[in-house]
Amino acid sequence: MENAATDENWKTCFCQLAPGLVLFARQWTRSAADAEDIVQEAFVKFWRRHHNIANRGLLYATVRSIALDFIRRDSRRARREASALSDADQSVQPEFDIEDDSQRALVAALDLLPSEQREVLVMKIWNELTFAEISSALEISQNTAASRYRYALAALKKNLTANV
Amino acid sequence: MSDFSELEDQLRKLRPLQPSGDLVTRIGRSLAEKEPVPIAGVLSPQRRFHFNWLSLGLGLAATAALVIFAFVRIEQPGKQTPAIASTVGVPAVSSNPNGQLVPAGLTQVVYHTRDEGLHFPTNSEQPMRRVRSQSQQTLRWRNPKTGATLRISYPTEEVSLLPVTGQ
Repeated sequence: MENAATDENWKTCFCQLAPGLVLFARQWTRSAADAEDIVQEAFVKFWRRHHNIANRGLLYATVRSIALDFIRRDSRRARREASALSDADQSVQPEFDIEDDSQRALVAALDLLPSEQREVLVMKIWNELTFAEISSALEISQNTAASRYRYALAALKKNLTANV
Repeated sequence: MSDFSELEDQLRKLRPLQPSGDLVTRIGRSLAEKEPVPIAGVLSPQRRFHFNWLSLGLGLAATAALVIFAFVRIEQPGKQTPAIASTVGVPAVSSNPNGQLVPAGLTQVVYHTRDEGLHFPTNSEQPMRRVRSQSQQTLRWRNPKTGATLRISYPTEEVSLLPVTGQ
């Protein structure tokens, strides 16, 4: 990740960040194709302006902003996504390579997390952002970001323990 | 946080799916394209400030004309403009050895006059009638050597206080 932050070759940067970025964008979309469209638009916009990934918080803020605009653009989609985000049973499934049942249970537990906790978890675990970068991207304090992360882990642990 | 280290390890073992292969191609194509002009919202940083030399030139020319006009007015302080149009002729004989432009005339066309009624100015004991007139003034310069002329027109508004005579 450190190389990605300083590399001037956009392909090197993007290939390292792409899976996490698409996973981050998937929180607001129902399909991988829509998430990829959002990531494409955000990355192109970001790279044209900055030409490096030094400010990763801003990159994720750009993805988030475009994802929210994407939802707003289509009212029918917005209603569906709002419904999906508010209803835990229909929440968006993150896309993972699931190898066994324990990972399947973990993904199911992830799916039950509130959206504000899940987005912090996704940024921290699969995108390796610091709490400072997360707070910058989400425009929240570092303490709030850390609290949401801690609550997310606690909720995951509780859900996993209950299902055993 | 140490309570969750095992759980964090489990989460890190979950690998997000790789995006489709053509995503990199699409981004490469988009980056190669010329950046679109923003339709609305924030202007790009390069376009945020643009110095308009034409506006500056016109502004300076207008200022110069006003200064010259003010000079002409000071030279003729008692002059009123009761006529609809008047022309002030300036001798076109050049006294300038360099052959530069010299003032050749001033034309003032009054196209609207409005009587705004009686007023009582603070420094006057008797009422005054306020008359607002709008006119178009044209300044002309001429180069006696080459015959080239320069003409500048601009609108003016003048407020006159006329003493009211008893009837």
